[in-house]
Amino acid sequence: MGGLHDVQMPAGPQAAFLFELWIAMLVVCVVVFLAVMAALAAGIRRASPATDRAAPDLAPHPRIESRLRRLVGCALAASTVLLFALLVASFMTDRAIARLPLRDAVHIDLIGHQFWWEARYAPGDPALTFTTANELHVPVGQPVLLTLRSDDVIHSFWVPSLHGKKDLIPGRESTFAFRADKAGVYRGQCAEFCGYQHAHMTLYVIAEEPARYDEWAHGQRQPAVAPANDQQRRGLDLVVRTTCSMCHAIAGTMAQGRRAPDLTHLASRLTLGAGVVANDGKALADWIANAQKTKPGVNMPPHALPREDLAAITAYLGALR
Amino acid sequence: MCSHSLEVGIVLCTTLLVAACEREMRNFDPVPEGAQVGGSSGAAMVSHYERNAHALATGKRLWTWYNCGGCHANGGGGASGPALMDAQWLYGWDAASIYQSIADGRANGMPAYRGRIPEDQLWQLAAYVRSLSGLAPQDGAPNRDDALLTRTPESFSDKQNPERAQPSAATGQR
Amino acid sequence: MTPTRFHLRCLKAVFLLGLAASIGVCAADRDGDWPMPARDFANTRYAPLADINTANVGTLRQASTFSTGVSRGHEAAPIVVGDTMYVVTPYPNIVYALDLSKPALPLRWKFEPKPDPFAQGVACCDVVNLGLAVADGKVFVNTLDNQTIALNASDGKELWRFRSADPRSGEPRTMAPLVVKGRVLIGNDGSAFGVRGWLIALDLASGKELWRAYSTGPDREVLIGPEYKPFYAKDRGTDLGVATWPQGAWKIGGGTVSGWLSFDPDLGLVYYGTANPAPWNAEQRPGDNKFTSGVFARDIATGRARWFYQVSPHDRFHYEATNENILVDLQLPGGTRRALLHPDRNGYLYVFDRLTGEVLSATPFVRITTSTGVDLRTGELRYAPEKLPRANIVVRGICPSSAGGKNWQPSAWSPATRLLYIPHQNLCQDEEVMATSFIAGTPYMGAIIKMKTGPGSGNRGRVTAWDPVAGRAAWTVDEDFPVWSGALATAGDLVFYGTMDGWFKAVDAKSGKLLWRFKTESGIVGQPVAYRGPDGKEYIAVLSGVGGWAGSIAFDDIDARDGSAAGGFAGAIGDLKLRTAKGGKLHVFALP
Repeated sequence: MGGLHDVQMPAGPQAAFLFELWIAMLVVCVVVFLAVMAALAAGIRRASPATDRAAPDLAPHPRIESRLRRLVGCALAASTVLLFALLVASFMTDRAIARLPLRDAVHIDLIGHQFWWEARYAPGDPALTFTTANELHVPVGQPVLLTLRSDDVIHSFWVPSLHGKKDLIPGRESTFAFRADKAGVYRGQCAEFCGYQHAHMTLYVIAEEPARYDEWAHGQRQPAVAPANDQQRRGLDLVVRTTCSMCHAIAGTMAQGRRAPDLTHLASRLTLGAGVVANDGKALADWIANAQKTKPGVNMPPHALPREDLAAITAYLGALR
Repeated sequence: MCSHSLEVGIVLCTTLLVAACEREMRNFDPVPEGAQVGGSSGAAMVSHYERNAHALATGKRLWTWYNCGGCHANGGGGASGPALMDAQWLYGWDAASIYQSIADGRANGMPAYRGRIPEDQLWQLAAYVRSLSGLAPQDGAPNRDDALLTRTPESFSDKQNPERAQPSAATGQR
Repeated sequence: MTPTRFHLRCLKAVFLLGLAASIGVCAADRDGDWPMPARDFANTRYAPLADINTANVGTLRQASTFSTGVSRGHEAAPIVVGDTMYVVTPYPNIVYALDLSKPALPLRWKFEPKPDPFAQGVACCDVVNLGLAVADGKVFVNTLDNQTIALNASDGKELWRFRSADPRSGEPRTMAPLVVKGRVLIGNDGSAFGVRGWLIALDLASGKELWRAYSTGPDREVLIGPEYKPFYAKDRGTDLGVATWPQGAWKIGGGTVSGWLSFDPDLGLVYYGTANPAPWNAEQRPGDNKFTSGVFARDIATGRARWFYQVSPHDRFHYEATNENILVDLQLPGGTRRALLHPDRNGYLYVFDRLTGEVLSATPFVRITTSTGVDLRTGELRYAPEKLPRANIVVRGICPSSAGGKNWQPSAWSPATRLLYIPHQNLCQDEEVMATSFIAGTPYMGAIIKMKTGPGSGNRGRVTAWDPVAGRAAWTVDEDFPVWSGALATAGDLVFYGTMDGWFKAVDAKSGKLLWRFKTESGIVGQPVAYRGPDGKEYIAVLSGVGGWAGSIAFDDIDARDGSAAGGFAGAIGDLKLRTAKGGKLHVFALP
């Protein structure tokens, strides 16, 4: 579904620091590797051919051996210095990453579930709060402060172009901050094995200009659009009266479930099923009818719906921009 | 002796593996349409849910999701709804009766879940309810809670002798 | 006229006059009645009868009994008007009218409303009924399935019936109506199910709805207008019943009116508390969540709010504010104040100025770990951050428990001793909250609680005699189990209460010394009353029959091996099963 997913293409300061450290380590390790290989090759070339008849030469050679001792000593010293240098570089990178200024940060509670991401913006403020799933929009140049929690097992948040990994551990809360300095779509995924569909737990972070972000947030705060025709009205009725509302919420309706992704603005999202399929009508209908075919092991059960009911529900949900 | 021990070992291991398979198998297909409750196919289906650790674990998850613990208490000890972990059963303790209680509700205050949750989940819940009092095979029943522990785990439940309890005839009370 | 005839006529006249006088006196002898559960509009539960006093209460003996035929929690008060006693049972809410002129208490009439049995499933705290009220020759009673019924007091014939929601929506009704100024005030229950709370005034004669004040929602539905003048800035604003909730959450926000109502006839104000916000898991409803967990003062004629004080903003612990509001005038350092005493679930004894809603003092009457105090300047409750529940994290040592420092069980005020007699509990709890879906007709809570005994010598209950002017207890009596019954204070300097294992006790109002006790067949969770019988003697009456939120442990269908059973009480009083069984009986006591 696209999205930048590359440690080597940082779009934010923390990913940039990490990338620099990565390059430093790569350079050092390459140099060391080449030196070790050269020494090995030299050692192989220099060894005198052994013959069956000649006895091994065990006599001391003070001149050669003291040279060798110096060489080994130097290599040891160089390794130690390099290791320390890497240690210092790592420490300084950690410090730099942690020092992201957090003024005017966007607060998001990010809760990991099997196998989707729940995002609650402005969680303490009743006027500004809203909930979405699997897709974070963030303003470019503004820090984002995440509170990471998990509803079930350990997950891990990893958007390589923006930052490193941090675990979402059930029973604990941790905070994590990042900033996107370039507009774009950044792909992340769960980085701690969490079950059957761990590999398909994608998270998109969409960095936008602040004005566009404000527009998006404002839209997300609105209740769901009212159904526009009879079929959609029928769809809303089915959503509230039958199974959907047992787990899902749609703001402005009596569907107030809290165990599954919030559907209030479902149609504004890029993908379904945390990145498994693109969000279009056919995929939505298939997902509702039998999500297990697309993503076996998710908590969404299959539904044996008559065709008109499925069409009505799909029509209603598909219109929830 | 030695020459046979290898074969014996292979056979034993395979048997153990196969026996454990059913307990761990995860079936993500929908319940086939028209599956009947009674009869041999029904009994097999019920047994399938009760012997399957994934089905029981899913039932436990749904127990929390659908607010069952709000009336029956987190571990089935009862509150405004009767205890489900004891040996007293108002409407029968076989899986079919429990399924019916959940699906169609009961006159003294149990709401009906038919049409609100799929068939598969009704059976998973019924199987889990049986495990609350040790009626489901214990090797598949859930173990220590991830949440606040309020009772010994389902897999530790003492197997009780279930019996029918009568609601009070005069007033219909429990 | 002959002298004899003249004398006969005089005698007749004297006789008729005497008869008229005695009828007039009897009609005016309200001191001997107990017409509503709280006895009077100020909710004092104080009987100005001193025939039974500290000197002779040791000889008190049971004079009559009556079995109600029902065996769940009997929380009601027996109501006495004239020579009839009226008793309402828990579900199925049978109303008995008993003839007090004979010791056998024969039945004058019986009314069976036959409520919908489904309502039993949505009663959070046992299928109780807090009592009926008698006024204007009529009996007013609530049924569990949301009906308010008016009966003719003399023959039990139904006059009118008012119905609200279907219990399948999660709403039951358990509170005692307040009948005042031609209005019958009723409130709903069901905060645990996400039911939106209201207080309704019905016309006494016809049962038609006169006004309805919701506890959440826009100002025009909460009946907030220009006359609304809360004392503290934190309770001021427009449409707070919407603005302090995230999108639409107020519609399923709770704040039901399931507790006590009191009334000040001089000010024309009715006082009551609203229940906790829904769900229990506070993370799903950021904001102060007005107007839940607070005390309202409303104009009796129009229902419009005069003031409101939110006792526990953004409540996280199920600290509903539905406990009683006792109206007394207190001599405080600044002068006489028209005060309101409110022992809240959050563990503080609030003394309000009932004109303005100012908090004059808020003093803990139990051990509190969930907050560190009330700022009297701003009115804020200062929560303790380490005890705030967060989803999927276990918090231990929450004191008081979600049952409160004191629950529904009402206190009594003695104008003689100037003490408030508070029956209550000593319980803490461990809790975990989690996400919960609103599914209409199912509990909307998202919390697991397991209660345990509070600090002290292992006592789980206590009776505290509180001096509201000094701001401390004058004496306390510890009890093994939570004291879940109401308290009764009499002019004989006695305080009566009952224990959950069946002891009905009389203690000295000044010292708390036990002077008399009687063992009933089942735990007592009812409200004791004192009245003067048709024979002029003083009687004490109480209903036994254990139950209620705490007492349901004693029922067969609760398994105390689950510490969260019976709403968390199993963790603290699981042994109640061994100490009492269910029952249901009226006991009447008198001096020999």
